[in-house]
Amino acid sequence: MKTVGLIVSMIVGAFLIYGTMDMPDWGDPNSPASLHVSPRYIMNTETETATPNIVTAVLADYRGYDTLGETVVIFTAGMACVLLLRRRNKFKKNRG
Amino acid sequence: MIITFDIIILLFVVMCAVAAITVKDLLSAVMILGAYSFFMCLMWTQLGAVDVAFTEASVGAGIGTILFIAAVMKTTRRTRD
Amino acid sequence: MDFIIAKYNYWIYIILMMIGFYAMIAKNNLIKKIIGMNIFQTAIILFFVSIAYKKGDATLPILTYADAHGAHAIRAAQYMNPLPHVLMLTAIVVSIATLGVALAIAIMMYKKYHTLEEDEILKAIK
Repeated sequence: MKTVGLIVSMIVGAFLIYGTMDMPDWGDPNSPASLHVSPRYIMNTETETATPNIVTAVLADYRGYDTLGETVVIFTAGMACVLLLRRRNKFKKNRG
Repeated sequence: MIITFDIIILLFVVMCAVAAITVKDLLSAVMILGAYSFFMCLMWTQLGAVDVAFTEASVGAGIGTILFIAAVMKTTRRTRD
Repeated sequence: MDFIIAKYNYWIYIILMMIGFYAMIAKNNLIKKIIGMNIFQTAIILFFVSIAYKKGDATLPILTYADAHGAHAIRAAQYMNPLPHVLMLTAIVVSIATLGVALAIAIMMYKKYHTLEEDEILKAIK
């Protein structure tokens, strides 16, 4: 199992390293990720939200529904933990 | 970004990751994972992502380590690998 | 040499991710598997945050005082890309949620089978 896991992870790693050859250079200001959506946020945050911190402006203002969905995920996880860890205690009580 | 600082932090991060999965005591592994999270927090600070860094320092390194320690204390510290 | 300097960060992130992947598929202990999952998630978050980095004169994505009052125009190359930071802020919190559920399941399995080793649990199930 150990050697199989090692071989599989090395093969996957080799494929991923081969995939980085087509990536833009690290820290390139003209990479596609920093040319399309984010300039709009950087330019208009001050006039539209009056918040100096762009990250919090995007988190709570532009993408507020995203944060609401995150809160739903946390709530679901908390309920799952409570239900998982509580059922066992009830069993113990019933058995005496 | 300072390139030597970058390389040193990346080296520490990889060392902590390898140590966390090879050490034979679960409580030690969890502690090393906490150190890994704080090194990751330094890494993000020097990449310019300060909001991500302090979220990681409070949520990832704090609450995550507490959850792990609670789980290890409720179960067992011993492991075979 | 330029090629290595341009890409070595990506390679180290992939090494980190593969350490987590190896721990997830080859380790026998459930807590070790969860530690591997945590390392995997952190490596992916690191990769996304590194996309946001811009070399040169870019600073943190916080508008300075002079820009905030329209003294001169804001250039996009002057600040780092804020979008990956926002998305990864969400991803860190979600990763803690998955960690909590995974640890709760591990505690349940320990209470039922009195071991955390995967092969012993499989033997007990049979």
